[in-house]
Amino acid sequence: MVTRLLVLEDDDGLRSSLRMVLEDDGYEVAEAASAEDGLTALGRHGVDLMLVDLMLGGMDGFSFIQRARPQTEAPIVVISARDGVQDIVAALEAGADDYVTKPFVVDEIKARLRALLRRPSMGSSDTRGPEDALVLDSVAGPLVFDQGAGTLTRGSAEIHLTHTEFRLLGVLAENAGRVLSRSSLLEHVWDRGFFGDERIVDVHVRRLRKKLELEPSAPSTLITVRGLGYRLDVR
Amino acid sequence: MTGVRRKRGLRSAVTLAFALGALALSASLALGTYFSARHFLVEQRERTATRQAFADGALVRDSLLTSGAQVSDVLGSISAPAGSFIYVRRHGTWYASSLDGPGPELTTEVQAAVEDGSAGVGWTDATSPHAVVVGIPIPAVDAEYYEVAVADELDRTLRTLAVALGICAALTTIAGAGLGRTASRRVLAPLRDVTSAAVRVSGGDVTTRLKDTDDPDLAALVGAFNNMVDAVHDRIERDARFAADVSHELRTPVTTLTTSLSLLQRATDLSPRSTRAVQLMTDELTRFRRALEDLVALGRLDAGVPEVRPSVLGARDLVSQALQATDRPAALLSYEPARSSDPMIVVERPQMVRALANLFMNADIHGGGLTGVRVVDGGDYVDIQVEDCGPGVPPEERSRIFERFARAGGEKLGTGSGLGLSIVEQTVRNHHGDVWCTERGGGGAAFVVRLPTTTHATGVAP
Repeated sequence: MVTRLLVLEDDDGLRSSLRMVLEDDGYEVAEAASAEDGLTALGRHGVDLMLVDLMLGGMDGFSFIQRARPQTEAPIVVISARDGVQDIVAALEAGADDYVTKPFVVDEIKARLRALLRRPSMGSSDTRGPEDALVLDSVAGPLVFDQGAGTLTRGSAEIHLTHTEFRLLGVLAENAGRVLSRSSLLEHVWDRGFFGDERIVDVHVRRLRKKLELEPSAPSTLITVRGLGYRLDVR
Repeated sequence: MTGVRRKRGLRSAVTLAFALGALALSASLALGTYFSARHFLVEQRERTATRQAFADGALVRDSLLTSGAQVSDVLGSISAPAGSFIYVRRHGTWYASSLDGPGPELTTEVQAAVEDGSAGVGWTDATSPHAVVVGIPIPAVDAEYYEVAVADELDRTLRTLAVALGICAALTTIAGAGLGRTASRRVLAPLRDVTSAAVRVSGGDVTTRLKDTDDPDLAALVGAFNNMVDAVHDRIERDARFAADVSHELRTPVTTLTTSLSLLQRATDLSPRSTRAVQLMTDELTRFRRALEDLVALGRLDAGVPEVRPSVLGARDLVSQALQATDRPAALLSYEPARSSDPMIVVERPQMVRALANLFMNADIHGGGLTGVRVVDGGDYVDIQVEDCGPGVPPEERSRIFERFARAGGEKLGTGSGLGLSIVEQTVRNHHGDVWCTERGGGGAAFVVRLPTTTHATGVAP
């Protein structure tokens, strides 16, 4: 199956050079020069991953991410010349999965794509049957995480997770009860080395909490361990 | 006085001026007081002496008239006041009230007036202290009467007065000097504030401002100073913004270039010359991109905004991560003292890993290769020593190499951006640490990163 990418970038040169390089690697690439075009392309084809520039003419990248996120679980990688703390956090909060700042080398983009396109916890889903579904929280209604089926449900309602959120929860669930440092989460979920930005983890944990926890500001399942990292408590 | 005279400071000058002013004022007052008091006292003394002489003279005249007695008898019968001598001349003969007193030559001063038939008053300094001489002609008995009164008390009074006034003048002078010193301190106090503020500004703290004042004399200075610092601050910010804008504008084109060039690199149908040209472009573009990345990183570090939340971790752990991140053997790490726990530090991990990676790369490019990284626990601090086996850095270059785009010893442009060590310095400084270059025992250079340790192993940062 061909992986479909969307490159949303208003600089013609960068957009077409990226397209050529990624097509050489076997991806199917759709281009969009504006957020409006991007949303149209997204609705028409459906894509597996998006590369999104933040500064665009017309609607900006932040708004695009906010609108695209409810439509798709596909990973969004921000490619931007903006690298201020607020910009990056805002993009992640809006729903982006990772970011790469310009100037980047193509290999870096490819590495991000490969990491985010890995199927969620493929290795363990083979050994786990659907009956291995993990009950994360039995106190406040049964919160069930089924890696094999790729679902998270509270009672009968399914909670939608993006691919990246799903993989993050998967890694935490496999190590339930153990503290995972931000850097090890970065490595396992994002394939980021030691230079990686730990805010990516923090923002994703926040996003995950909004979906998992009944009271995200006082988490009882996804716990912050001060100075060390995060821990998933099953109860 | 010969020799080199040092230029007097403003404070000493003001103090001296006050002291001299006080001296002049008090001295003239003292002198004025002294002389008018003296004049008054002398006049009073003369009057007293004259009155006494007239009384005594009348007594002598009456005695001589009534009994026709001899002068010597008369003088023997009246007693001269204490400290006074009486002389009478009659028919050219001198008679004195006291045999052991000084002679009648004391009266020379007034003799002329008396011989002319009028009374005379004068002073003689033949005695000590001076004496008032009063001469009275007594024509009724054809005699001249003289009385010499030693002004003992007057002299003592004047001496006491002089001493008292002298002391007063001295005290006033000292008080004047003290006043000058205090006044100059008060006047110079704002100047001291300005000085310390200026020192802070020149040390790089452009947020320094002088406190507003409602003193109209100082408001102009404070305003001008603060405006100047504002202008400097604006200028620095404008320069920084310009650099940031330039590097920002270059980001997308450089990315397009590298992306396009990666397509060319993979092309198989290029001639050897073209392949070589593509290789040259790739190398140069790599350097360009690194310089741009470093400029951007340095801009962020300069802004001092923390990029990530600081975390607490061990120094050895940090070094291991940096070695691993740059694909170097973990065996390069050694530590002192050998048996000890890992000293804990609070760091923005990615930044510090990058700083150490820069030092490793520096050792490879300029120092003939990284030979080891030593972590030395110093208690309150920990030293991370990055060592190489190169030619070392000459002492005079050791601080210069941390400057932006500085290159040691006229070295040619290497593969680095010229900003690597500046990034290290700025990163370490943002962590309240210090970095310097020294020599490694046995040749080569050692770059030492000193970071403060935390006493709490965990729980400082979330």
